[in-house]
This record gives sequence, C-alpha cells and structure tokens, in this order.
Amino acid sequence: MDEIIARSNLYALLSRILLQELDVERLEIVRNDTIILEFMPHWRDWELREKTEAKQLLEEYLNPDFTNLSLLHLVPYETFYTRSDQMIETGGANPVTDIYSAYDFLVDYTVARVVSSDHIGIEMEFMHHLCEAQLKAMEEKDHEAVNELISVQHNFLNTHLLRWAPMYLINMKYEARTPLYYDTAEMALEFILSDNETLSALVQA
Amino acid sequence: MYLESRRTFLKGTALTVAGAAIAKGVFSTDAVAESVKKSKFTNTPDSLSFYPPLDQWEGFQELDGTDWKRGGINRHGVQSEENPDGIQVNDYMIVPTACSNCEASCGLTAWIDKKTFTVRKYMGNPLHVGSRGRNCSKGYATQSQMYDPDRIPFPLKRAPGSKRGEGKWIRTTWDEAMSTIGKKMGDTIRKGDELSRKSVMYHIGRPNENGFVPQVWETLGLDSYNSHTNICSSNGRTPTIWTANDDRTSPDWGNAKLVFLNSSHAADAGHYFQQAAGYIADARKKGAKMVVMDPRMSNSAGMADLWIAAWPGTETAIYLYLANRILNENMTDKKFVRKWFNWETLMGDSEYLNFMVERGYISKLPEGRDFESYLEVLKEIYAPYTLEYVVKETHVPAYKLEKLYEMFIWAGDAISTYVWRATAAGNRGGWMSGRAAYFAIALRGAIGTEGGTFFHHWHVISVGGKGGSSTVGQGVAGADVPKVKVWNELTWPPEWPLSTYELSYLLPHLLSDKEWQKKWNDRGLNVPSKLALYMPRMYNPVWINPDGFRWLEVLKNEEIMELTVNLSPVWSETNWYMDYVLPTGLAGERHDQHSEATIPARWTSFRQPVLRVALEKSGWKPKNPNRATLEAHIKAGLGEVWEENEFMFDLVVNYVDPDGSLNVKKMWESKRHPGKPVTIAEWYDAAFGDNLPKLKETATNDPRYANEEFPVYAYLRDHGTWLEEDKIYHAMERELKFEDGEVISHGHKFAASSMSVGAGGVISAKDHEGKEKKIGVEIDGKKMEGFATLSKKLEFFTQWAVDWKWKEYAIPFYPRNDEEKVQMPHIVSHVNHMYMKAENEFALNTVFRLPYNIHTRSANSKHLMEISQNHDPIWISTVDAKKLGFKRGDAIRVRITDSVSGLESGYFVAMAVPTEGVLPGTLACSHHGGRWKLTNAVTIPNGVSDGKVASSNAKPDLTSKEFLGESPANAGRAGGEIKIDDYSGTTGINSFGVPVAEIQMDGKEGKLKYVEGIKPFHAERFAEYNRDSGNIWWDGLSGSWQNAVAAAHPDPVSGMHCWHQKVILEPAKAGDKIGDIFVNYDNNLKVYQAWRDNLSRGLDSNSTIRRPRHIKRPWVSLDPAAYDVSIKS
Repeated sequence: MDEIIARSNLYALLSRILLQELDVERLEIVRNDTIILEFMPHWRDWELREKTEAKQLLEEYLNPDFTNLSLLHLVPYETFYTRSDQMIETGGANPVTDIYSAYDFLVDYTVARVVSSDHIGIEMEFMHHLCEAQLKAMEEKDHEAVNELISVQHNFLNTHLLRWAPMYLINMKYEARTPLYYDTAEMALEFILSDNETLSALVQA
Repeated sequence: MYLESRRTFLKGTALTVAGAAIAKGVFSTDAVAESVKKSKFTNTPDSLSFYPPLDQWEGFQELDGTDWKRGGINRHGVQSEENPDGIQVNDYMIVPTACSNCEASCGLTAWIDKKTFTVRKYMGNPLHVGSRGRNCSKGYATQSQMYDPDRIPFPLKRAPGSKRGEGKWIRTTWDEAMSTIGKKMGDTIRKGDELSRKSVMYHIGRPNENGFVPQVWETLGLDSYNSHTNICSSNGRTPTIWTANDDRTSPDWGNAKLVFLNSSHAADAGHYFQQAAGYIADARKKGAKMVVMDPRMSNSAGMADLWIAAWPGTETAIYLYLANRILNENMTDKKFVRKWFNWETLMGDSEYLNFMVERGYISKLPEGRDFESYLEVLKEIYAPYTLEYVVKETHVPAYKLEKLYEMFIWAGDAISTYVWRATAAGNRGGWMSGRAAYFAIALRGAIGTEGGTFFHHWHVISVGGKGGSSTVGQGVAGADVPKVKVWNELTWPPEWPLSTYELSYLLPHLLSDKEWQKKWNDRGLNVPSKLALYMPRMYNPVWINPDGFRWLEVLKNEEIMELTVNLSPVWSETNWYMDYVLPTGLAGERHDQHSEATIPARWTSFRQPVLRVALEKSGWKPKNPNRATLEAHIKAGLGEVWEENEFMFDLVVNYVDPDGSLNVKKMWESKRHPGKPVTIAEWYDAAFGDNLPKLKETATNDPRYANEEFPVYAYLRDHGTWLEEDKIYHAMERELKFEDGEVISHGHKFAASSMSVGAGGVISAKDHEGKEKKIGVEIDGKKMEGFATLSKKLEFFTQWAVDWKWKEYAIPFYPRNDEEKVQMPHIVSHVNHMYMKAENEFALNTVFRLPYNIHTRSANSKHLMEISQNHDPIWISTVDAKKLGFKRGDAIRVRITDSVSGLESGYFVAMAVPTEGVLPGTLACSHHGGRWKLTNAVTIPNGVSDGKVASSNAKPDLTSKEFLGESPANAGRAGGEIKIDDYSGTTGINSFGVPVAEIQMDGKEGKLKYVEGIKPFHAERFAEYNRDSGNIWWDGLSGSWQNAVAAAHPDPVSGMHCWHQKVILEPAKAGDKIGDIFVNYDNNLKVYQAWRDNLSRGLDSNSTIRRPRHIKRPWVSLDPAAYDVSIKS
C-alpha cells in the first residue's frame, strides 16, 4: 500500500513542477518538505532556497528558468518528439487525448494552460490519477481492477512517457539554470525509469 | 549513468504531503466529459475525405465547424443541456444537386440545417463519378450566391413611363409578368407567318442542361434558340464536326501518357476544370507528361513538363510538323489509319487530287489509289512543315519542338488533348489547329483508346427534353412534336452556312443593319428586323459580347426589341436595360438534367432546388404542385425565386395557349392531370425512365422506391447523379444491333430490311419516315456503327467542304510560305506577326480566365471576389516593356485596331505588368474583367403593406409539424406577394465586386469611366451569413470593359468571334485612368462588315440548301423543308 501511495505522490509532485510555474503555497512545500529535499540534493543545498523570500525566489529565479525550459527553448510535448515534422498536435489527432478519453479523463485547458494534452506535466498527472485509482481498487480489494490499472500504467509509460520524456528531461537538465529544475529533471528521469522496472515486475508477476 | 545512480523512490511513503494536494488537477470528469462520452463524436476522424453514407443523408449529425475551431470536443465537450458551452451539433438533411457555376456539372450536396431550414454548406457529392466528391472554389460559392444580400428578391418590372436603362423599377408578380410575356408570345405565334416564328428569341450563356429548354421552343414551333457558343468555342468544335461530325472531343485524361493542352483549359479553368484537373493529376501521378501550348504562362503551363509559347494562331504548323515527322519517320499507326481514315474517299476523288497538284500540295498524281499510295500522298503534303519553317513561323525554339515530338511518340496511343479557348477562340482560322491536332493524334492511333482522345456524343446523356410521355401531346421522348418549319437568319445568317453555332454576338448588328436586311429580303429571304420578345436566361450579353455599346443601343430601342425579359437571379449590366427581370434559381434552386463528357463514361447530374426537396422529403405539400419550387423558396426566405422548368410548364399551358387553340398547350399539359401543367416529378420520371434503361431497371427494382409514385425521379432525387455506362472506348467499332426487324445505330432505329452497303463499305438504311440514312460501315466483314460522318470514318479529307466553297481547306493545312499566308487569310490569324509592322504593335491574347470566376455571377459571391482582385493587368514581356519604357504598374493605352479593315475601334487603359511569362510580341489581358454598374443601389419598394403576407408564420424548422403544414397561398399571384425578410425597399447592386461607372454614348462613340469602387457595407438581408460584409478591403476595380472596345470578328468558316486583337500600345494620356475605355462603335460596325464581306463565302444563287443537312444544327429539330433555300441573283 505504501508503494502505491509513494508512486502516486511522486507523479503528483513531478507533474506539478513540470506543468506550470510554482505558486507560493507549493513552493513552500517543495522547499520545506524534507523528503522532497532528500530527492533534490542541489536544491536542498542551495543557499538562496532558504534565504530568499518566496515571491522573489519565484519571480527572479525560478519562473524565468521555468519559462526558458518549458516555453522558450525546450518543448515539453510528446508529439514534438514523435512526429517526423516536429509539430505539436494540438487538435483531435493527438493519440494521448484518445487514451485520456478512453478512461473518461478530459483535460481542462483553462486550468492546465497548455497547448496540447501531451504535455509532460499532464502525462505525469495522468499517471498520478491512475495510481490513485489503483489505490482505491486496492482498498476495495478489487484485484482484477488493480491488475488492469497496473497494466494500463505500464502500457502508458511505455507507449508514451518513456518514448520521449527522457529526451526532454536530459535537455532540461543541461539547460536548467536553477537547482530546483536541475534536480527535478534528474529526479523525473530516474523516477520514470525506475517506475518502469517496478511496473514491469508487477505485470510479469 | 542513470542506472548506477538510481535511487530508491519507494521507501516509506516517499512524501509527507499527499499527491492530491500537490497536483494541479488538470483533469475534469464533469458534464463536459460526460457529454463527450454520450456522443458519437471523436477528435480523430479516420479520414478527412469522409462523406456520410447515403442512408444517413436524411438525418446526419455533425459538430459545428465554427465551434470546432475552439479546439475540439476534448476541450469543450458536446453541447447539451448540462453542457451549454459545448460544441453545437448540427442536424442536417443532405440533399444532392449539381453545381451550375461552370459547365462541368460537378456533384454538390446541400447540407440543410433542419433547425433553421438554411443551407449551412455545400459540399461535393461522393456518388458523382465525374467529380468524385470534389469541387473547386466556384462550387462552394453556391452558398454565398444563395445568401447574397443583393440577390433579386421578387419579379421586377421597368417602371411604367420610364425608359430602358433609366433604372426605375417596380415590384411585380410572376402572374403579371407571365401574362404579359405569354400574351406577347401567343399573339406572335398566332400570326402563323414565317416572320413571327423568328421573332421570339431566347438567349443563353451556358445551357447547363441537356435538352429541356430547346424542347420548349421546339414545341412552340419557333426557331428561337440562341446560344453564346460563338463567343466561346465554335472554333474548338468546328474541327471535330469536320473530322468526326461530333460536337467536341472527349479526352480520357486519367489514363493518358501525354496530356497535351492547347491553351490553359482543362487544368486551369474552363472546360470541366475541376474534374479534368483531378484526372490530369491522377495521370501525372502515374507518370504522364503534360505539355501546355499557350503564348501565356498559365498556371498549367507553369507546372507542365513542357511549355510551348507559339505565336497565336500558328499552332497548326506545329501539329503539321508532328504529322510530317510521324509520316516520314514511319511512326504511323497504319492499322488504325487504314481502318478509320477516309482515305478511299480522297484517293477516289480525282478532281481533288488534281486540285492538290494544281495548288502544289503534291507534285504529281499518285500512281496508285491504294492505301500505300495514300500514305505517300500524305508524306508529300506534309513534308514542307520542316523544323526550320515551323520555328520561323511559330517563334518556338527548335529544341522544344523536338522535345514535343519525342514525348508525342513516347506516349503511343495514349494522348489526350483539348484544343479550346486561346488558339481556337482567339484566332481567325483557329479551327484548323484542332483539325491538324486530331490529324497528328489519329496518325498515332490515339482515338478512342484508353488514355486517348475521343468524341463527345458517346460520353454524354441528353434526356432533359425527352419526358414527353408524361404530357398529353408530346409522345414518348417527344416523338409527336412537329418539327420547326422556319429558318432564323438572325441566328444562322446566310453568310456563314457552316457556322458551328448561332452567330449570337451579331444579333444587335443584324437587327440594326438595315442594308443587310434589305439585301437578303431583296434576294428572297424573310429576315426579321425586330423581335417581339427577347428573353435571355441568366445571361449578360451586354458585358460579355464584343461591341457592347451596340448591344446597349439595340436593347434600348423599343422598336427593335419590343419586350425584353431576363430570367436572372442577379443584377447585371444587361438587366439594367430589361423590361422584366425574373429571379430564377441558382445551382441549389432549380431542376436540370445535366451531363458532360468529362470521362469515358455516360453520367448525368440531377440539379435540384434543395430546399424544396428537403421540405418534400420531410412531408410538406405545396399548395400549388406546379409552383412547388416557388413556394419552397418563399418558405425558405429566399424571396419569390422560381426555376425555369416550372416557369416554362406554367407559361406555355396557362399563359401562351390557355385555351389550347395554338395546339401547344397539350405539349406541356400533364397526362395524369389534364388541364394542368406537367409536374417536375412527372416530367423527369419520364425523361429518365424512357431513355435510360439501366437506370429504370435499377430504380424500379430498388426496394427503397417500391412505394414511390415516380421511382426513377425519386432515385435521382436521392442520389443526384447516375452512371448509365462506363469505360467507353473504341465505340465506333460497336457492331450494329438487330432487334425485331430493326437495326440500331447510335441509339437510333432503322428498318433492317432496307439496309444496303455502298462505296467505302458505308451502310445505309431507312428511318421511320422512310428517309435513307448512313448508319454504319462494314470493314473486314464487320458491320460497325463507325463515326457520325458521311463516310463513317474520320474525315481528314472533308469532301463536302468542297461543295461549300472551302475546297483548299478540306484537308488539314497551313500556309507553307509568306505568299500562301496572303492567299489563305481564312486560316491565318488576324494577329499573325505578319500584321505587326511597328515596334508598339502587338497581338493581344484576351481569352483566358481565372479559375475562380464565373463571368457574371462571380460578382455575387464575396469569397470569389475577395480572391480574384488582381487588377487584370496587361502581361507584357520584359524585353518589350523595356523597349517601350513601361514599368510595372504603369497605365497604358491599348488601342485596338483591325488587320482586315485597317480601322481603329478605340482603346482601353490597363496596368502594365512586365513578365517573363508571355511570348515577346504578344500580350495577355483577360477579357473577364471590367464589370460595371451605374449606381450602387436601387430603390424598389417592397410593395408590402397591410394585407400582404409573411413568408412563413411558423418558425423555420424541418422537424416542426406546424412549419411543414403551412405553405404560402397564391404564390406568384396578385395578393400573394410576400414580405421579403429584412428588405428595406432598397437593394444593393453586386456590392461585393462591381464598381460604379459613368457611361456616355451618342450612337457612334461610347465612353466608360469608373467613378467609385466598392466599399464595406452592412448587409441587412441574410445578415448573419453576410456579417463580414463590413470587412471588404478591395475596391473591385479589376480590369477594363475591353469587350466593348472589341469589334465583332466573325470567323468566315465557323462563325466564331475571333477574340484576339491587334493592338497598339502607348503611354496613358493626361486624365487617363486604368479602366477607362473609349469606343468608336460606328467603326466597329464597319470592321464587322469588312470581315463579313471580305472573308465569308455565303449562300448565293446556286445554293439550294442553307447548310449541309448532315452536320449539327443545334437545339431544335428542323423540318427538312426549312433547309431549302432559293436566292435571287
């Protein structure tokens, strides 16, 4: 049970950091939660993390870096990496959208503020919801549903996130100019690789 | 490295903060998601070329396109009560019709929103084998024309007491107009004399139907049908008539190896453009080459494998160069030539062989008369068309001609061609280029083959006039209709006995030339000097014909034209001078049977008033079944808009001959409901059912139509198109069929017992009237239908032309030297370089058009106007521009002068655009520019006050019983005038595309000057559809009305108006503005007379008939006696 909670929380954390600039409330979590800081050593050791007032930290350091990494210089969308013409599929032909629809998920673009549903932050949040669903099924002891949800996660990870997110995250790591996003890139990359091993073992079992 | 540094993520609970508190929460599973789940819609259609299957046409749901732009259902979901901001779902009824914006008749489907009873869009008809679900921009423009705020809302009448052209109009009723017209026609016919039967004239642009209207005039016994063909394509048709006695070619573009276009037609614009271009693209995908021969670099030429810019009118020499090499390099398909050329006729005609020796075509008489000797004769005739001579005459570089020959030979018998527009329509003698082209192609056997060139009549369906079995009087397919007994000299003047179609553009000249009338009356003919009724249909003769001021003079003259009526949905230059303008419908507002030869098959479209059909299919019944289309259009808010079919039925039965005393009422009286006009369903069920056996069998055996009163009509109503026969190749080799003592050839029946085989294997037999006809040919023991010529073979020696005074042109020929060019002016273009003496004299090519314009009706489509504002400049080669000092954008005077009479016609002012895309020495400026109007708007009071009726009481909704249960009372009658929605009493005139001009004319000289361009405006009618009329950014000043400056140039053989002009360029003078014209139309009359008197070879005292009986005399069937003539010397 702990394992699924951990996976769910990690997907939630990463999805949030990768999706949008942090708000003050979440910045406080990210800079104070010791377990999070354990995953992010450079961020933990960065002196400005503690010294700087939240608003200033966001406006002068973190948000400019985020803008650079997800809007200006890098493209955090799956279809950019998977289409030969490197165009982001913003319309109905995005295969990720179909998968969301199949499980009755619909992206609220007003909230998400992305141009397409195959953004890394959205895909990560989708994984978080699948984990939550698995947790619920486990609580209800619906083994069939649990197995099905594990299979869906494994499949989504392999057909989507793992196919392109490593490329983005490697670039992000090298482009990052703040410890938070440097560590996030590394952590996210390691986590999805690790999670694939976890899920593969579960699927095989 | 990552594997090495992998951390354990899953120890403990990993994070102390729950994921839900951290995640953004971008997913929703609320009403939006639910709405998508409930709907059938998806963001990922399987194919963009999707059309709904036929069984869903009566009710097809589709997401709204405007909303769709917001990002698809995954962003907003599908509109429902729970999700009001979702994407709207339209509930459509899809009704098929056919485009009418050019002659190709591509299939259309109208997508009618049931909730608002409006056409939301026009798409293609996937069932149409010619257009395959595709349309060009003109097809989609049907919707903008339908909801044009300036469309004519009700029948218009020139205000009593005003003169034609004063612009004073009142609203009238259909009944009043029909009473006036019907009485005029009835009174004229009742006179019964010869002249009266020539005194009614119907005049059309593109017919866009096959036989209905001609049948009307035939039943009235009038020789009154006049078409625009002689300003369009007569020179394109003459060569096929001389060669195969067929109206035009029918190429198999899709399977060709060489697509050989003479001019930009087919792939650029014009003849069957959208369908032809699609098939040409298919062929090129399979490896075909494309050659475009055109002095102007058209869109097609720009993408061709080879562009040949020949001097206008010299193209014949290029074809004969090909023929020379094919013959002398032994590349002739001897098997085909021996079988299908009329070589025996030539080799058996000693007189003509001697003539050829005299003229030096051959040096001596052939030793034998066999096939090999024939080939030797051909080799000698065409040997002079050497590369050296042809390069000199055509200005085409040698390497291009050699490349052309290589491609020609490489393509084998898969050469598809058109010889249309520029070459044919532009040049005196342009018809000979087609003759020479088909000769070269036939030498390679590429006639009737897969990928080859064939002839029109095998690939077309003409049954629109053959619904006679539904009437009291016509008989099956019109068998009982008496033939017309007169010959109208206004359409078929004696100077041009071989003219391919009517000399329609000469109408004002013939009507105003009293000397000409007197001359022929003195010689025993009976030439009309006036018309009781002139009725154009959707036609704008003032603007499109040469010498427009003469048209204005005659139209304004109430002594020459007593009553004038245009059946027209839109304003035009012509309509301004009419007595009545009666709004008949556009592509989605009328019935027509329409078929064209676009592929080697026989298909037809069925054009329909889609809103009427939608109403009827939903259960609505008209109050008056003979005015169902009118009632439906009133209900739809289009106004009192009708269609020709019902108008004509009603006109003849109730207004021309209401008591039946003229014997014509019965011709259009319903057999099912005697005393009433025939209905649409009755007529077309008979027209299709009686004449298309495969369709009848299919429709009557289809369980869907088992309970239909008119199953064949119903089948066409639902499908909008039909394919009767496919893959028609080598049809001349079809064997004669024998059935019940009759022999059948080309669909006609003859008495088998009367069959005999004569010289050259020609088979004759007697028809039902006992007349002997040539019905086929026997070759190698096989009795075949052959071609429609007298010899039943391809007549590259047209023997009958000798009898009609054109002996030297009876074979494909072009002058071989400068001396012969002077001796043979009839086949040398009037703009040949020999006529260009000074540095600023040029050959002007006027005959091309934009792919997205439709002559007059383009100006009623906002989007077509928006994409066609190009100022219609003068294309001038960069070297010529440099020589004369013209820069891009300069205004230049283009003075039109005549190489026959030496007279000047006047000038137009145009904008210079130097370009590499035109042959030096030649210019290009399309004559499809220069639209004008005299005022921006006209006030025509609605006429609706207390007591007048609304178009509908119930809210328009096809699913509402209340709406379907009501229909306008007394539609078209006094007291039934409906209130036109959102019409204030003043209407704009062509507000999307036609600028305002001032005109001056004094009987001899005319001037036009533009005074105001178009402006953004707020549309009141159809306001929602036209909500961006305020965004107009163009002024509509595009080109000059150069047609008015052009004098009439009748080709001495075909009668074609030869459009090209010899012009003199000079800089614009002070005060000149682009678009200005000045015309000396007094001179223009003299120019026309010079062409007539110096070049034509008309009837004389030796003539016994007006025209060869065997060649086409289109539209109405004439009594054989009408051909007889006696001319006093």
